[in-house]
Amino acid sequence: MMKQLYEWIDKRTKLSKYWEPIARHPVPSHVSDGVRTNPVYCLGGIAFLCFIILVITGMFLAMYYKPTPDEAYESVRYIMEEVPMGAFIRSVHSWAANMMIAAVMLHMIRVYFTGAYKPPRELNWVIGVVLFLITTAFGFTGYLLPWDQLAYWATTIGIQITSGIPVVGPYVGKLLMGGGEIGPNTLSRFYAVHTIILPLTLALLLGIHFLLVRIHGISGRYL
Amino acid sequence: MRVRGLSFFPNFLLREVVIMFTTAASIFLLASIFPASLLDPANPFETPKPIFPEWYFLYVYGFLKFWTWDIGPIKAKTMGIVISMVFFQLLLILVPFIDRNTEVNLKKRPIAVILGVITIAAVLFFTIYGIVFE
Ligand code: HEM
Repeated sequence: MMKQLYEWIDKRTKLSKYWEPIARHPVPSHVSDGVRTNPVYCLGGIAFLCFIILVITGMFLAMYYKPTPDEAYESVRYIMEEVPMGAFIRSVHSWAANMMIAAVMLHMIRVYFTGAYKPPRELNWVIGVVLFLITTAFGFTGYLLPWDQLAYWATTIGIQITSGIPVVGPYVGKLLMGGGEIGPNTLSRFYAVHTIILPLTLALLLGIHFLLVRIHGISGRYL
Repeated sequence: MRVRGLSFFPNFLLREVVIMFTTAASIFLLASIFPASLLDPANPFETPKPIFPEWYFLYVYGFLKFWTWDIGPIKAKTMGIVISMVFFQLLLILVPFIDRNTEVNLKKRPIAVILGVITIAAVLFFTIYGIVFE
């Protein structure tokens, strides 16, 4: 039954032509020998899983969250106290975010020590660093959204520090705040960046990242 | 490199799936035991103490506290920001172009390994410095 369905779809899409080389390619024995799998090669995948969890929980949060100084705090309180499963969804969003950053850092460390950034993979390393910066930017913009004391003051410090970069700093600070101080413009642009600009950019770069991993194959033995 | 080995699907992916379920389960468990916090509403006129940035920015925060030396006309604070934010990120991006050695065996690239360990130790050190020293 499943087989027939697969064949029916395959006849019309030629899906197997693209899918099978990916499915059949052998995994090198230093990654997994069939008995033991080296867990350091799973870190990129774990980061990706966290991203998927973040997208799904984020969609639910976006149904209740209101990005204005008057309503933001109250809407988060409402999620925490009144929405069924709301506190759980928000907590999963927060934990998955921290887990993603940790996984990305460890993934970067694994790529460094296995020498996987060497030719021909230099470009994928550079894309990787950008992915890392985007991941932290997610954290920075997300931190402000609950509009509580920690959110407000941590962002104040963050923007102060960024404004201290010579030459471009003051402009970046102004751009981040949408004016001279943290207020309604800051909150709505952090929300737009957090929920539209960063996810789309990350998804696009991840596509290229994975494509390059497919083109190069996983890097060789490091011991 | 890929003469033999198990095929990506389903053998290898199945192992991945086990790890993925474990990861997801730990996230759900942590979220149930330690829910996300929500403090008092933002008040621009009252600075709470202490305030910390997210843990992955602490190393920048710690480095800014650590670096107290003016270099010529450049203020200490500016130096701290440039080194920990601009210089460090640039260095990370440039890794493949700085390390031209094509050897991947860990034991045959001692300098890269030592520099890597020092970098991790430094980031950890400044992270702790950011929390401990007020
Ligand atoms: C959103 C963050 C990221 C995700 C989801 C991700 C995902 C992945 C995945 C699934 C792989 C396949 C192998 C593995 O999992 O170890 C991979 C490989 C790779 N990643 Fe990432 N990555 C991310 C960030 C980074 C960062 C920060 C770097 C480095 C600065 C990086 C550099 C690389 C390189 C060079 C490879 C090829 C490794 C090899 O051939 O052994 N990636 N990535």
